[in-house]
Amino acid sequence: MDYFYSYLILAEIYTLLGLSTNLLVGVVGIFSVSQAAVFGVGAYIVGDFLLAGTLSFLPALAVAALACILLNVLISLPSLRVAGDYFVVTSFGIQLLATATFTNWTAGTGGANGMPGVPPPDLLGLPIESTRGILAVTTVATLVACLAFWLILRAPFGRLLKAIREDESAVAAAGKGVLSAKVSAAALAGAFAGVAGGLYATYLSFIDPSSFDLDASILLLTMVVVGGARTLAGSIFGPFLLLALPQVLTFVAIPTTYAATARQLVYGALLIAFALFRPQGLLGERL
Amino acid sequence: MSSRARSLLAALAVSAALGISAPRPARAADAAPITFGAILPLTGPGAVIGTEQMKGIQFALKQQNAKGGIDGHPIRVVFEDDQAKPDQAVLAFNKLVGLQHLPMIYTAYSGPSLAMAPLTARKHVLMLNAGAQSDKLAHASPYLFNTLPTTADEVGVMVKYLRAHGKSTSVVLYENDAAGIGGRDDFVREFKAAGGKILAQEPTQFGQTDYRPALLKLAAAKAQVLFVVTTAGQKSMADQLHQMNQTWLVAGTTFMEDPPTIADPNAKGIIHTQVVANASPELMAAFKKEMGAEMGFFSRQYYNATQIMFALTEHLLKEHKAITGENLRAAIFQIKTFHGLVPMTFTTNTAVVPVAINEMTGGSEKTIATGTAH
Amino acid sequence: MLALQLLVNGIVTGSALGVMAVSFALIYATTRVFHVAHAGVYTLGGYLAWTLVHRGVPDLPALVLAMAGCVVVGSLIQILLYGPLDRRGAAQLVVLIASLGALAVIQNLIAAVYSPDILEFPPNWAGHVFPLPGGLRLTGVQIATVVVDFIAFGLTLAFAHRTLLGKRIRAVASNPFLAEITRLEPRRVHVYVMAIASALVCLPGVLGPLDYGLQPYGGVTPLLTATIAMIAGGIGSLAGAFALAVAIVVLQNLALLVMPGEWSIGVTFAIFVVFMLLRPRGLFAGKA
Repeated sequence: MDYFYSYLILAEIYTLLGLSTNLLVGVVGIFSVSQAAVFGVGAYIVGDFLLAGTLSFLPALAVAALACILLNVLISLPSLRVAGDYFVVTSFGIQLLATATFTNWTAGTGGANGMPGVPPPDLLGLPIESTRGILAVTTVATLVACLAFWLILRAPFGRLLKAIREDESAVAAAGKGVLSAKVSAAALAGAFAGVAGGLYATYLSFIDPSSFDLDASILLLTMVVVGGARTLAGSIFGPFLLLALPQVLTFVAIPTTYAATARQLVYGALLIAFALFRPQGLLGERL
Repeated sequence: MSSRARSLLAALAVSAALGISAPRPARAADAAPITFGAILPLTGPGAVIGTEQMKGIQFALKQQNAKGGIDGHPIRVVFEDDQAKPDQAVLAFNKLVGLQHLPMIYTAYSGPSLAMAPLTARKHVLMLNAGAQSDKLAHASPYLFNTLPTTADEVGVMVKYLRAHGKSTSVVLYENDAAGIGGRDDFVREFKAAGGKILAQEPTQFGQTDYRPALLKLAAAKAQVLFVVTTAGQKSMADQLHQMNQTWLVAGTTFMEDPPTIADPNAKGIIHTQVVANASPELMAAFKKEMGAEMGFFSRQYYNATQIMFALTEHLLKEHKAITGENLRAAIFQIKTFHGLVPMTFTTNTAVVPVAINEMTGGSEKTIATGTAH
Repeated sequence: MLALQLLVNGIVTGSALGVMAVSFALIYATTRVFHVAHAGVYTLGGYLAWTLVHRGVPDLPALVLAMAGCVVVGSLIQILLYGPLDRRGAAQLVVLIASLGALAVIQNLIAAVYSPDILEFPPNWAGHVFPLPGGLRLTGVQIATVVVDFIAFGLTLAFAHRTLLGKRIRAVASNPFLAEITRLEPRRVHVYVMAIASALVCLPGVLGPLDYGLQPYGGVTPLLTATIAMIAGGIGSLAGAFALAVAIVVLQNLALLVMPGEWSIGVTFAIFVVFMLLRPRGLFAGKA
């Protein structure tokens, strides 16, 4: 069972991240490839507090969420000034800068060696060590986030965001607060990513920069594309599918040295097929 | 920075399974196959080393199973890919242990091994590491065993040699990741403790084989020794060093043991510590014929670790004990000294192994000193 | 002497990156595709040349054949992938994902065929060291890199401004809509551009690995730096892309004099982010 539970835990954590990315990329139209950096900041903050013993799990998670809200707003600001591919490259830059910091700031992150021995999450002083217990925690967090995402898409705020994506200048001309809407969406996306980071650090008990690099950011983007942009179902389905696919594939044994590479190749082909034949993803709206 | 194509697959744990595994606990009573697991980086930039390690295991299995396995039990290993990432390693671990109940797993990289270490203690699964050398691995879990010395132990042998030969100043070129930084820290500490002076240090990125800027900067410090800790791209480095025409002594670790580099005339004069795991020329030839590649350092290490695994299995079968993580662990300390490619003794979780210092002669290499790590 | 050697090395590596940036800029300005798979074409060129050299083909024909191979692959990507997406009016994000997919396919095909190991060319003229005045020491391949890449850049500029096809390409780049109605056949021009850019990127794709060895996943970092050069140089300006690529690499080299190397990539990008905030249109924007 632990295998299935551990899959669920990771899939739920990635769902939080999927929601975060979908909110920015799909809903607001800020093309970010640096969500893993925010995820990492959340993870390192929770890890640092728990290892130092200065805060328990929930307060640490709250601090991480707050910090990530600030950070995400800050790094989304350039999107107000530069658009499209320009922002993509700016966002790449932010991601690489974050990776350099995670790797080289040894005092705060353990550097390239990583941060081992992060204590498990605790509630009211009771440590939750069993996989099942952690699953319960991540499930609650994911459900809350899903609810928030759903409410936002339905609320007038959601319609405002949609209008901004479709015609920003028209919304601005109509006297609506484009800036505050974008900033609010970025803040919420930051909170999701920060919480995901805290859960990730406490579940794995070991974190290192490899989990928060450019690859991870692009994986998140892919999850949104495959699952489907701008819908709750898509944000959940993408992570669950992309984490499950390879796991299922491993049961089909290909006894060659290069089986792993061959499967990656098939995966790349799948991506092309998606772009060509189903660009809205499996459960999303047209991008 | 690593590849964006790999990126697309960041969550994909992919496995190459050798044969079909039996998803049940291996027991000694019948001649059913006995199955173990291996979690190695088989895709992504780490795959260079991971596939070499996998080949070492596969070759040992082929040899042994051709001889009828152990007491008639064919031995199998299920391979899982973790891309050298800790979360994928934990997922793979839970799969091999939770679903297939495998009692022993090979591991390779520091990050994944450290992430899995608490699980091995909780689930009582023996974990054999023949690839990573982070100092933290020595005490990470009672179930994690290392057949390589930690970098600190290995580097200690080199420092002793350098100081004995009158070298008192050094610069360091290191790979900016766990292996490289660990090696750098150990060298700096040991060299200073032995009365030496570190004049400068420069990083390189993994897979980035243009060392010229860093080497030029280091050369400006005019030290007697250039100490190098990088895990790949040594031949390019040897060529670029040759281009610079420096007088410093270039010293490295086991990572320098790279056939194309040794064959390179430009590498003449480079010395490095070498965890001794020599294979006979016949074995090397058989490996090349069977696996279609040179039997590199990591192939030899995992071949050797697999010999340890055979010895443990045989021991438990002979004593009619179930093949479980606990029993395997106990057997390590009972057998204590193993004779795979090299005699290897376990008094703690990290083996005591002979370490040689080799010098490249521009085409091959020769051993110029020996010591013991740990 | 240190500064001089760092400067010269920077110009050598920078010129290779410059050709990559120019070829990428050519594609981006004309087709508006953020062609990430260009990194795959770049890598493929090196592997093709390696195979040919190992089969006993002399160096120069091997280079030409490798370029031909890159032309075929690049054109196919345009015809089979970007073309249909363009006709369908696909969103930027979708095209980017398709390009990433193509990159994954190329890189992993290479890894499956050649193994993920670093492959080295057999020892040849490339490693020969030439001592030069001022204490400089350059290898054969470094000299070849700087000469070939500067010539390639010059020829590309001349091509874009002096030839009919070049003018047609620039017309399509500056106004695709007008190009459509004036029967410049932008879709066909897109294929030509991909072919030319793929041949161009093959030059550093072969010369680089002669120096540093081949890796299936090795094309991405240079490509990312090249895109930065293109954007900072101003989209549409080939000279800007080339100049910025050389400048970035030279700066990265010289930065070592004042700062430890682990921060150099981070600093490059930090400067870029600030730059984008202050001057989002690039240095030489506007001139095509």
